[in-house]
Amino acid sequence: MLTSCTNAIILTVNGDEHMLVVEPNELLINVLRNELGLTGSKYGCGTGQCGACTVLIDGEPALACVTLAVACDGKEIVTIEGIARPDGGLHPIQEEFLGENAVQCGFCTPGMILMAGDLLKRNPHPTEPEIRHHIKGNICRCTGYNGIVRAIQHAAARMAEPAAADGPDLVKEAR
Amino acid sequence: MGREAREMEARELRTVGAVTRRKDGLAKVTGTETYASDMELPYMLHARVLRSPYPHARVVSIDTSAAERMGAICITPDDVPDIRYNERQVSVPVKTYRDRTVLPWVVRQVGEGVAAVAARTEALAERAMRAIKVEWEELPAVFDAHKAMADDAPQIYENVLLGDAEFPIEHNVACFRQVSVGDVAVGFEEADLIVEREYQTGRVYHAQMEPKAALCRPLADGGIELWATLQSIHNTRQLLGRIFDLPLSRIRVHRSTIGGAFGSSIQMNTPVAICVALALKARKPVKLVLTREEDMYDHCKYPAEISLKYGVKRDGTIVAGELKTLVDIGAHNIQAYPLLGCMSGWFVSLYRMPHMNFEGTAVYTNKTPACAMQGYGNPDVSFAVESHMDIIAEKLDIDPIELRIKNYVGLGEEFWGQGPTVRSIIRSCGVEEMLRKGAPMIGWDERGRPEDKTGRYRRGIGVGRTFHTSGTGAAMPGEVIDYSTAMVTVNEDGSVDMSTALMCHGGGTLDACAKLVAEEMGVSFDLVGVSPASTTDTGYDVCTHATRGVYCGGGSAVKAAKSAKAVLLDFASRLIEVNPEALQIAPDPVTGEGVIFLEGAADKRITVGEVAKTAQLKGWGTAIAVESHRMVNCPPCFVTNFVEVEVDTWTGEVRVPRAVCAVDAGTVVNPDLAAGQLEGGLCRGIGQALLEDTAYDPVTGEMTCGGMYIDYKLYTAEDMAPVDDVKVFFADTYEPSGPFGAKGIGEAANNAVAAAVMNALQNALGIRFQFIPITPDMILAAIHGWACEGVLPA
Repeated sequence: MLTSCTNAIILTVNGDEHMLVVEPNELLINVLRNELGLTGSKYGCGTGQCGACTVLIDGEPALACVTLAVACDGKEIVTIEGIARPDGGLHPIQEEFLGENAVQCGFCTPGMILMAGDLLKRNPHPTEPEIRHHIKGNICRCTGYNGIVRAIQHAAARMAEPAAADGPDLVKEAR
Repeated sequence: MGREAREMEARELRTVGAVTRRKDGLAKVTGTETYASDMELPYMLHARVLRSPYPHARVVSIDTSAAERMGAICITPDDVPDIRYNERQVSVPVKTYRDRTVLPWVVRQVGEGVAAVAARTEALAERAMRAIKVEWEELPAVFDAHKAMADDAPQIYENVLLGDAEFPIEHNVACFRQVSVGDVAVGFEEADLIVEREYQTGRVYHAQMEPKAALCRPLADGGIELWATLQSIHNTRQLLGRIFDLPLSRIRVHRSTIGGAFGSSIQMNTPVAICVALALKARKPVKLVLTREEDMYDHCKYPAEISLKYGVKRDGTIVAGELKTLVDIGAHNIQAYPLLGCMSGWFVSLYRMPHMNFEGTAVYTNKTPACAMQGYGNPDVSFAVESHMDIIAEKLDIDPIELRIKNYVGLGEEFWGQGPTVRSIIRSCGVEEMLRKGAPMIGWDERGRPEDKTGRYRRGIGVGRTFHTSGTGAAMPGEVIDYSTAMVTVNEDGSVDMSTALMCHGGGTLDACAKLVAEEMGVSFDLVGVSPASTTDTGYDVCTHATRGVYCGGGSAVKAAKSAKAVLLDFASRLIEVNPEALQIAPDPVTGEGVIFLEGAADKRITVGEVAKTAQLKGWGTAIAVESHRMVNCPPCFVTNFVEVEVDTWTGEVRVPRAVCAVDAGTVVNPDLAAGQLEGGLCRGIGQALLEDTAYDPVTGEMTCGGMYIDYKLYTAEDMAPVDDVKVFFADTYEPSGPFGAKGIGEAANNAVAAAVMNALQNALGIRFQFIPITPDMILAAIHGWACEGVLPA
């Protein structure tokens, strides 16, 4: 017989609180995609090797395909759907991904943008090797990475301008 | 078109060649783009597939009772139509080898599905799948193409179908092709120098980011609706109709955004038919998404062993060439016959040879089936031929670039775009321009000689040049089907809808078609919408493959736009009383809306929207046109790569610190997206040269990487050259037969890279490597003279 032992958890996702009842072995990626309809987090390998499922948990990048949902109880999660500006406008990183041709098939894009945001929060003026090092866990099969690196360089420059309305913190902006 | 006319047109281009934001970009950067794997339907069941642990085995019995007691819907080979098919529908039927069924009684590779289940949740489906009991009879297996052809080798097939006729398989040879021109023996007699070498390329995995997925909804009338990872909605529909005996009018296949292709879904992949069979039995929607491990066992690139011989005159003129290849196709013959034809075509079209012979043999083994991957045999042939060009140049003491310029097939000569039956005359060619312009950009003349290089880190510079075809059109029908259909509609507000069954794999094909339509219609790019597409609302399009999207698909879109424009101008002529042939359309510089006008007459102006709206109100109809169109050429998009490598002679590791990528794509429709394709092709090509391969355990038949990225390494951002050190440029050409002068780019981006890397390695170390990928252990073995498989005496 099948037995079930479910858990009630609270996740704050992109600023919204959700109470969810999940199996103890349920993965965060499945909860985000199937329960909350946030399909921007992609299943690329299921084993934490490609980075397509990257989300931020309490501000830290994490691989949703190897993270148990119950382990995120009470935590704040930001997905690609949550990083646009409060007014609905694109985040500068998203703008630059479009402007610098960093997007081809788009399947790695959400994870790449979240990693870029994480980098610029920690290091607003990264060198090119620092950018490459930070996103090396995210595989892109289409672009050869150069467009992505250029987009992050440009986003860093843009976000460093005094005119930038808000900082690079993706979590803060999700509110 | 003459130079003057071309310059006039180039001056007037408004949208084609402009840098624009890709139309799907907003959805992709906000995570809202919907891929097949993102689709959900109410009451949808989830599917899992029971796969063979053996490389070759007969299914004696399958017991699904335990799975059914869990409430799962199960299918076994008994539940699927007994129809043998080939998942690829691009070739004409008489040249199509059919060797597989939806679920087989005999498995021929590890990972081949024999049963499948659908249940309410993925977890339940997984449990049910594991509860199925299969009794197997293991059969002897073979993993090496040479051993497979031996008299005592296990027989993988007794026969297959060729078209609808039984075709016996002997010595596991799936097919053989021989193509010759002139008399190669005579040619070699005339030669002053004969160079002969062996080459080998790897069994690379496509590694498209999206694992294959399918979602099928059964309909009340017995039909089906499908969303899946695929490159051709129409071929998928035709094949499903054949397998499941359904009229095509009851099959609706939707175009879904695809998370990368690289050829991996030219065919209708295995999960599609399994998903459909489950949904028809369950009478509920069923979704099947492969795991990465399953996906890696589903397909790979065709590897090749190549034996190459060229005869040349003392002045470097090639007089004869012979290329023999052995291709290990794995467990199924998806497209080996056209592959061999294409390989002969790439060989013929690289360098002029009065006498040529090509022989290709495709052999079954008990491994993952190979299918097309970016370049379709071209990276393999080009790696061999371009390595050979450097060897010949060195032996004759000619500059490698000059040897290439002396012999390349160019303007006015014949190009075989898809094997011997698909030929066209080259009418645009930037080969010499790219070689001459690229050489100083990489520092060609300063590359030095390997014997003068010392120290731990040694740098070398290499060149590789080749092409890809732009589609598979030709004046006469060949082995390959090629045409596209497009519909263009002028809306009542002046915007325009473009509808086509073409796909965008990420490179910008649909954006390019929208630009071509905008250019032709005289409206802004923003006002052209790309309609969602399915088989019920688009005409036939063969497949987005063979670098045909912009040239062939764009060609049909421009034709439809011309026809819709003719209707529109006819309406306009009635309203402003000007002969329609005297009218022009141009976008308003502010609004982008099309304005129809008579040059020099300020009162003879009306907007496209006013005309369309008035025509509607007066009941004249809609300015709409559908065109089903075949391009009668397949112009080569030439490509040239220069790369610099840096070898660490202590560890054998190789970096590519600098590269120059150039393509002759005719008029470049999306310059920034085209540059991105060249950068991506560079990365994949370096991977093919230095990293990527799949190996098999000779006992278990499993891949040694297990289908995992942890052991199937891919290049990361950190491995690639700095952004400023990868230079991209386009040859200044115009293809007279193309839409606004455009040709393709896609596959060309990757085709010459491995050759350039290997030539650069030779320049760094003085060692000629003939196997790819060449890994650090092989490089160390070569440097130190250790015995190592894959390192041959130069």
